[in-house]
Amino acid sequence: MAGMEATVRAGWVVPLLLITAVAKAQQPVSIAIERRLAERLRVQVGDTLSIGVDAGATDRKAIVSAIYEPAPDPAAITKREYFLRLHLPDLAALLGSPDRVERFAVALKPGVSPAAAAERLNQIAFGFRASPSRDIATESSQTFRVVSRFHQAIAVISVVASGIFLLCMMLLKVEERRRDAAVMRFTGISRRTIFAALLLEAVLVSALGSVFGVALALGASLVTNLYYQRFFDTSLVFSVVTPSIVRFSVLLSLGLGLAAGAIAALRLVRTNPLILWGRG
Amino acid sequence: MSGERGQTARIGDRALSSAFGPLTAYRLPLTAVRNLLRHRIRTALAIAGITVSTAMLLDMVLLAGGIERSFGRLLLGRGFQIRISPKGTLPFDTDATIPDATRVRRIVAADTAVVAVGPLLGTSLYLRMGDSLVTLFGYGVDPTAQANYQLESGQDLAPGDSSGVLLSRPVAERLGASAGDTVTLVSRLDPEAAVAGVERRLTVRGIVHWLYDYKGQPSVGALLPVMQDLARLRAADRVSALIVKVRRDKDADATAARLRTALPMLEVNSVAALVSRFRERLVYFRQLSYILGSISLIITVLLVSVLMTITVNERLGEIATLRAIGISRRSIVRDVMAEGTILTLVGGVLGVLLGAATARYLDRILTSFPGLPAAISFFVPESQSLALAGAVLLATGILAGVYPALVAARAAIAETLRAEAT
Repeated sequence: MAGMEATVRAGWVVPLLLITAVAKAQQPVSIAIERRLAERLRVQVGDTLSIGVDAGATDRKAIVSAIYEPAPDPAAITKREYFLRLHLPDLAALLGSPDRVERFAVALKPGVSPAAAAERLNQIAFGFRASPSRDIATESSQTFRVVSRFHQAIAVISVVASGIFLLCMMLLKVEERRRDAAVMRFTGISRRTIFAALLLEAVLVSALGSVFGVALALGASLVTNLYYQRFFDTSLVFSVVTPSIVRFSVLLSLGLGLAAGAIAALRLVRTNPLILWGRG
Repeated sequence: MSGERGQTARIGDRALSSAFGPLTAYRLPLTAVRNLLRHRIRTALAIAGITVSTAMLLDMVLLAGGIERSFGRLLLGRGFQIRISPKGTLPFDTDATIPDATRVRRIVAADTAVVAVGPLLGTSLYLRMGDSLVTLFGYGVDPTAQANYQLESGQDLAPGDSSGVLLSRPVAERLGASAGDTVTLVSRLDPEAAVAGVERRLTVRGIVHWLYDYKGQPSVGALLPVMQDLARLRAADRVSALIVKVRRDKDADATAARLRTALPMLEVNSVAALVSRFRERLVYFRQLSYILGSISLIITVLLVSVLMTITVNERLGEIATLRAIGISRRSIVRDVMAEGTILTLVGGVLGVLLGAATARYLDRILTSFPGLPAAISFFVPESQSLALAGAVLLATGILAGVYPALVAARAAIAETLRAEAT
């Protein structure tokens, strides 16, 4: 079933569904349609469809010889296009462009550099351009690089916001212990011990928050994937919580918690216990 | 009994007012500011948090409908409210074309609401530059009914000018060409024979800005028949899309519906319908903006309420004393809520400034999407949505102050004072 791929639109396939009479004059062409399109048209292998380039001229008969699941393509999911596959000569005839193709895929002998081969081909090229697959992949992934940069920028803002929030919370959490710290000082407990106790508390709170945060992120990621996989009818994975992301988040949380706890605890132990008690 | 307490409180307020001046609305913010300044670090951190959250909220509000507004403005920029494209496609979304364009144009023009119909063809072609070929995008247009370019210099194409061509600025700069120069356009290259199937020598009439081009896109335009010849689409009289102008904007949807009935094998969309289709494709950005905007609001509520609650708890003795000398519950609640509102307002104003800067930065990232028209923007301000965001933020700040204010108001005077004394 090797051949070119034709884009079939939602509006375009409706006439295909309606005109299903078996052709008499022409031998039907053999086509493979993707699973989503087959479900939409409610067709099975062996059914006959009418296809054409223009919606008003769907006069070519086609027999569904296969239903396939296309490789998930992140670049195409938002367009919600439908695809069907034809043998190359059949599609060329349908388009009225015999012996014309959009591109060739070239397999090189082992050891041949794709860049060097593409350069040699381009020296003799007229009307085509040869590019190593790696360059094409780089070019076609531009969209995702832009999305990735956008996500990174949003992530930086989120990290700053959550960092400030965490600092604020830790500061308040430690300051809430003013009276406890005063009592400890009155009973002769050393500043160092109080500082260590407050710091330990801050670290414990941060660690606990980190655990809850990671669990929340895993849950949110799961929901995100379930929702978008269903929304776009695809097996693509939209959200991945990697060990490096978990590591970064936990370290950031612990670091900020430790820093905020240390600053606030230092202020507390340096303050006169009478002031902490509210009598200074 | 409660009536007595209320009376005592009112008398107390009056007594205090005569002694220290009234706790009137204009004194209230000053008291709140003084209270906030008692804990400068925590106030600064809270304001910083609200600032960043507000910036995020603002950016998400701009993003939520920004690209749709930008897209709508671009499509309506020249007053054409309807687009006709091949069945199942959006204009210029695929290489599909509409056959028999002249007949379709005649059918569309026959509608009483229609005042202009313009055909548009887009095709890939080449420009001969010495021994090399430059790949271009070519537009076939009718200069009397077009919505996709603005003249920058030189002259527009005249009807029937089959030897004229319009260049985009990037093409003109690359060629060093200006009005009056000649260029050679070629198409249908045959790799086997190493010749071009069609070749046309044209005179540059003007430099134009193609409204739907991405940044730096090399594009040229000629009359529709010239471009159809180059693309070998003249025999079937094919175009990529038709643009339609109706007499009144409000008639666009009804006219589109009539044209849909008259042309069932074509896709007829008003700009509003196109924007709606576009919105479906960009559902991700809208949902992301809703989620992040909501998180920003939650962070603001948590920050303000936690900060205010802890501050109020620390000041319970002071509040009980104020209550004991006759300050009413209402004044205490007002004071605490004023602190929350001031925090939100200060953070909100700073957040708007930060948000405007980050929106510009984020817009620069997103508008670098390959193939996106340079005129499109993702973060477009609109007074209505900005006002709504501001109102929501303010309400959030006030709401966040409710719980700590209630804690303050419900403080048991005697018990608190006793606890403070021990």
